[in-house]
Parts: sequence; C-alpha cells; structure tokens
Amino acid sequence: MSDIIKQKIWEIIASNTSASEAGWLQQKRSSTPIELMTAFVAAPRFLPKKIIHTTDAEKAALNLEIPGFSVDGWSLVRLSRVWLLTQLDPSDKEGYTKNIETLFDTAEMNELVALYSALPLLSYPDQWLFRATDAVRSNMGFVFDAIALHNPYPEKYFSELAWNQLVLKTIFNDKPIHFIEGLENRSNEKLAVTLSDFAHERWAAGRSVPAQVWRLTGKYLNTALLADMQHLFDSEKEEDRQAAALACGEATLPAANYLLAKYTDLEKSVKSGALTWADLEH
Amino acid sequence: MCANHTEITPNPSHFEDSEEASQAPAHRDIAWNDYKDLIQGMRFFDPHIHMVSRTTDDYQAMNQAGIVALIEPAFWVGQPRTGLSTFKDYYSSLVGWERFRSSQFGIKHYCTMGLNSREANNEPLAEQVMEILPLYIYKEGVVGVGEIGFDDQTPAEEKYYRLQLELAKEAKLPVQIHTPHRDKKKGTERSMAIALEHGIDPSWVIVDHNNEETVKSVLDQGFWAAFTIYPFTKMGNERMVKVVEQYGPERIMINSAADWGISDPLAIPKTAALMKMRGISDETIRLVTYQNAIDAFGKSGQIDVTDFESGYAVDQTEKFHGNSILRGGQQPAPVKDFLVIN
Repeated sequence: MSDIIKQKIWEIIASNTSASEAGWLQQKRSSTPIELMTAFVAAPRFLPKKIIHTTDAEKAALNLEIPGFSVDGWSLVRLSRVWLLTQLDPSDKEGYTKNIETLFDTAEMNELVALYSALPLLSYPDQWLFRATDAVRSNMGFVFDAIALHNPYPEKYFSELAWNQLVLKTIFNDKPIHFIEGLENRSNEKLAVTLSDFAHERWAAGRSVPAQVWRLTGKYLNTALLADMQHLFDSEKEEDRQAAALACGEATLPAANYLLAKYTDLEKSVKSGALTWADLEH
Repeated sequence: MCANHTEITPNPSHFEDSEEASQAPAHRDIAWNDYKDLIQGMRFFDPHIHMVSRTTDDYQAMNQAGIVALIEPAFWVGQPRTGLSTFKDYYSSLVGWERFRSSQFGIKHYCTMGLNSREANNEPLAEQVMEILPLYIYKEGVVGVGEIGFDDQTPAEEKYYRLQLELAKEAKLPVQIHTPHRDKKKGTERSMAIALEHGIDPSWVIVDHNNEETVKSVLDQGFWAAFTIYPFTKMGNERMVKVVEQYGPERIMINSAADWGISDPLAIPKTAALMKMRGISDETIRLVTYQNAIDAFGKSGQIDVTDFESGYAVDQTEKFHGNSILRGGQQPAPVKDFLVIN
C-alpha cells in the first residue's frame, strides 16, 4: 500500500478532528501492535460521532490512488479505525495477518464494518478472501454493505462465483446495485441467466425486481432472456419498459433489436442517449 | 441465570379479580388493550434482558410498548459451555448479531460483559475466559461488567467476582451484580461488602434482583437497587408498586430479566401501567422505568440518549453508517395484524 493513501486519509481525519483527538490517534501510530489494536477497539471512547463529507478534490485524490475507493459518508470512527489498520507494520506477514485475524474474530458490528472497509488497503490482499466472502454471507446489513457497496476489493479479487453471489444477494436484499464497484466490468453470462431465474421467482410471488438490475443482461440476451424483455415491455411500470429498451439497445442479438424497434419512442430515447441506466438508479 | 424453577414460590403468576382476592396479589398480568392507554407516550429502558433467548415477536411487542433501549447482560445461556470458543462467540453475538437484530426492531441495544457466577465454578475454563474478557469490555456500547456475583457462593465464585471487580475499576465501568436465589440476603450483603472492600464507589454498582428484604440495606449503603419483575422466582409487579410507594424513585430501577424461563419482556411497561393505576406520579414512573437506568449505566460514557430518546429509528443507525438510503436487511413489520403473508 502506498504511503500517499495513508497520508490522504490522515488529511481528511485531521480536518475533521480537534487537536487532542488527532493527537490521540497520532500517539497510537508509533505504538506496539497491541496498542494499535486496542485503539482500534476503543476509538469510539476517544472520538466524537461525526459523519465525514469529502470534497471533490479529496474524492479524486483517493480514487487516483485506489480506483473505486471512497470514504464519503463514513463515520469519523470508521475512517480512523481504517487509518489505524494502515499503521500496522506488515513486514512480518505471520504476525500481521494474525493480528488482523484476531480483530476479525472478536469484532463487534461497527468494527467489522471498519475491517471490511479497510480490505482494499491491507497488505496480502489474497489473505482476506475468505473473510470477504463471509461478509457477503452476513445477515447484518451494515456488514454486508461494507463489503458489497462502494468497496473496490470484490471487483479485484472475487472469483466469478463469489462475485455473482454478491450481486444476487444485493438484489435479493433490495439494495441498489449501482453502488457496487465494478458492476459493468464483472458482468457475465452466468449472472444474467441466474438473474432471469430470480426474476421469475419474484414474479411468481407477485413481487417485482428493481428495473435497473436488467443492466446486467444486455450483452447476454438469449431467447429466454428475450422473453423476459417482452414481459418487461408489457409491464405497467414505465421503468420496466425503459429497462427493457436499454437492455435491448445494448444487445448484439438481432432479435433484441427487432423487439426494440417495435417501441419507437423508447428506441428513440435509447439511441439518442436521452434515456440511460442512470435514470433508473435508486 | 435468572430463573430457577425448582424454587417456585406460592405467588400466583397472574391475578384474576382483585375484589375477590382474600389477600393482596403479588403479581398480575395485564392484557395489552387494558393498559396501552395508560402508558401512552411513555418511553422505557430495560436495563436487564436476555434477548438471545427471545423471539422476534418479543422485539416487536417491546417496540410497540415503548421500550426504546435495553441492556443485555452476559449470562448463563442454560446449556453449560465446554470451551472458550463458545464463550467468545456468545460475547461476540452480544455486540454483533443481537445488537443488529435489535436495531432492526427500532430498539437500541447495549450490553454488559462478564463471566457469570455459575460458570465461574468451572475453573479451568473460567481462567481462559478471564484472558479474553478485556478484549470485550472496551467495546462500543458495553456499559458495564455484569452480570457477576454469587450463585452458590463458592470460593471459585468469590475469586472471579473479585477479579472482575478489578477489571471494572480498571476500565472505569459500572458493575451489575446478580444476587443469588438461595440465601439471598446474606449473598447480597456479601456482594456489597466485597465491592466496597475493592474500593468501588457504590454509585457505580447496580445490585440486581432485589426484594423487600434486601432493598433497604442496598439503598442505605449508596448502591443502586434494581428489581426484576419475574413472576414465580423474583418480584411481582404488585409488590413492586408497594416498594416504590415506600421508598420513592431514588436509585431504584425496574427490569424484566426476561430470558429462557417463564418471564415477560413487557414487564416494565406493565408495571408502569400498574403504577399509573395506583396513582404513582408520571415523574416517579419515568425515573424507575427509564431515567435511573440511564444515569447508572451512563457512567460508562457509552450511552448517548440522542440515539433513542425520540424513538430509535432504523434510519438513524443507517445514517450513522452513511448509507441513509439503504435498508439493513429485513424491516420490522407488524405482521401480526395481517392474515395474508406476502
């Protein structure tokens, strides 16, 4: 991990803390691993409850160092805990991983959130793969969010199977998939096909799926998915029809293009760029 | 370890009709429709309840009855633990899964951490538990060391009670004392004497499961006196009303200690309703069912009333994590009133 990112994070902390709060953190920086770990746990006793709002410049600086990494909307405690983790000396791999494993094993909910948020910054990234997939299995919403949303770690390290599980569970939990980093980049045919099955189950139960999930299917439209597109074009909800038009617009399958052509207004909006997936993001 | 059903007292669990009673009832159960108007607008804080043993129905009913926050003390889960890992997982669940579950029902969840007296008797295991306890007591939302104290009043129980008093002192945390079912009066006196011997300020100690026999000495010595409304083995709510009438609200608090036994997670709202029916002032009711618990356990520095005083909205927590538009898993829904399940 670069020293620049540590520095950038520190600058954000510094502009959100009093001199004594910053002093407490700085004093832990050069202490023993045990003291650092204790500080990680005890941080809420020394830092105020406060939400971090980053400037555009700060956002850009973080994104430049680690694409997709952002801290906007984090609590000060969460950010400080992540910073404390970056201060652990990684030179002894065994000791370093043991310390982080101990923090995971004994973590309460907010500590887990901080640990998963820190994954893109930790050394030996492969080492945390099991932990990361375990967070996707978590039923604690905040823990799940910490790995699934606004976190660049899964895009980079998850297998296709683990990735698809993450995306499906995000949809299943009714959370917005456009907050997943690398959604476009990691799209795949298996996911598109499974999504269709999932939608059918929901429809059978008289429920719906958010329109924007169909953005995962455009490139992979086949006959079965095309029937889903027809179902969406027939929907009473305007957003379903828009999603079908957008997905068909991205398809290479000629039948998808013919289908879209039947809905001239929608086709026009898609082709002109007046309608995009961003319109369905909520 | 709150119930002991081998010791059922002759007190009735509920009372059918006060006019026909030949003697004063110890406890009465009240139906929601008969008391909901009496507690309209009241907020409650249950400083002792074991939610790991309770269901989602309980959480929904508690939320509906105005319980906005609670403390879950570490206790004996019924099945003796045979290894350190199960202790660790239990402690983690108190600050992890159970805390999250509670938040989903709009109830702020705190806990106290400790090695319970019953399991202190398994010395080889107790030794290991003492090594990991410090990892947990500094965690966010841990408002005390508890519930600790005496069960059988063995030397091992005394040893670990004393060690944990020192831990509480070191961490600047309040102490939540479980007093024994058997030989209660002596056990309570002994617990208090030992706490004082360790130089602990009695205003940092909550002595739990009091009754008419123990309360005077507890208050006289400057400790907080907690009462558990738990039919059969502890206090009944009719008796509780009399205690409040006699001693007033100062340093007295009520809890349910609801767990895996025949207990009632709505003990506090029901007792509040009964106090109201008996003409006890709203301010006194507020102190013994809400404020005193906050004042006592708030000495930990871990209770921020803004988290729950105007109702603990699920959205609030989510904003704290900066994801205000997100939904953290399932939402609480009053499914009871609907026949059709979607």
